[in-house]
Amino acid sequence: MDKSLGVIARSVALKLIENRPEIQLICPVLLNTGDENYENFIKSSKVIVIDGCMTRCATKLVEKRDKRPFKRIFIPDMSKKYKIKPRKELILNEENEKFAEQIMEEISEELGEDEVEEVSKSREFEILDFFDITVDKYYFKVPKEGYYFNENDCWIKPEGKKALLGITDYLQNAAADILFVEFPEIGSEIEQFDDAGSFESSKTVLQLISPGTGKIIRVNKALENNPELMNQDSYQRGWFIEIELKDFEEDKELLMNGPDYFEYMKEKIMKEKNNLEQIGSEKDV
Amino acid sequence: MSKSYDAEKETFMGVPRKKIPWCPIIDYDKCNFCMECDKFCPHNVYAKNNDEKQQLIVKNPYNCVVFCRACAKTCAPDALKFPDKSEISKLIKKLRSESSGD
Repeated sequence: MDKSLGVIARSVALKLIENRPEIQLICPVLLNTGDENYENFIKSSKVIVIDGCMTRCATKLVEKRDKRPFKRIFIPDMSKKYKIKPRKELILNEENEKFAEQIMEEISEELGEDEVEEVSKSREFEILDFFDITVDKYYFKVPKEGYYFNENDCWIKPEGKKALLGITDYLQNAAADILFVEFPEIGSEIEQFDDAGSFESSKTVLQLISPGTGKIIRVNKALENNPELMNQDSYQRGWFIEIELKDFEEDKELLMNGPDYFEYMKEKIMKEKNNLEQIGSEKDV
Repeated sequence: MSKSYDAEKETFMGVPRKKIPWCPIIDYDKCNFCMECDKFCPHNVYAKNNDEKQQLIVKNPYNCVVFCRACAKTCAPDALKFPDKSEISKLIKKLRSESSGD
């Protein structure tokens, strides 16, 4: 902490513990002397690392203990992002204070999101009643009630003024094993039939075409580490985004309910099966 | 018949597919004929063409899935455009109300 960015790192840490009483500060000097209390504390906690300069001492100290930091803040990068120039003086000026405040808020916000996500992971989903059909080795389900669908094989499940969105079993079967997801930006507005993110399998890249109009308020972060949830449970744990609805009655005009979508999907599957068989038989000729 | 879709009979949201002008539009000033879109699209919308200036064409526009723009993501020179989505959904609503009024 002998340079101005290091002093900013210190200030971010102090502001964090002031704002989030659940956070505890680790003294890097004491940690380096091998304090045993810290060893256990680090093992059982999420660690946020704040490095003030290129030597990245804090990161090294944590990694030495085989701990993967929950979040890493690198002040030199942040100062570029916010166009803050390092100063010679070590006492923070007004601009530096504001900068530290901004970083603290960013971290704090992310911690908040994480807690919400923990809740959603453990959230109990209701037991759904499905229509289902097996074609060759593929199994397709469609929830009977509560969900609406567009012809692009995406679903929307309104819950009051909000709605969860995702892909149907048809689309997850077509994609095969989903490996990556790309979410739209939280806070952005989307219209019905807009591209609302994409997902990638070893076979292809597909888009979620939004069945509804509204503002994106949440994305299913669990999919970043477990994209297979979209294949395993496309209607519940594999949800993709959540939006704040604008006018669902209007959206509904171009959507199908469960029974109608199931008929539509079956027809589509059978048509594709016939086409594939046709191509097969043409090849045989 | 080897074509995957019978465009004559296709509908989208109950509207004959041929009444919905949704398909990619190739900007030939930008297209470098890499054919990535053609390789990507599972619906045979695109085809190779012998014309030197237009080596890629939209051969089966009505095979294109209405509102799908996934091929545009594969296009490095950003040469693929689509019609205005809200205009198209307005048109679909109009055509649907007309046919239900019959």
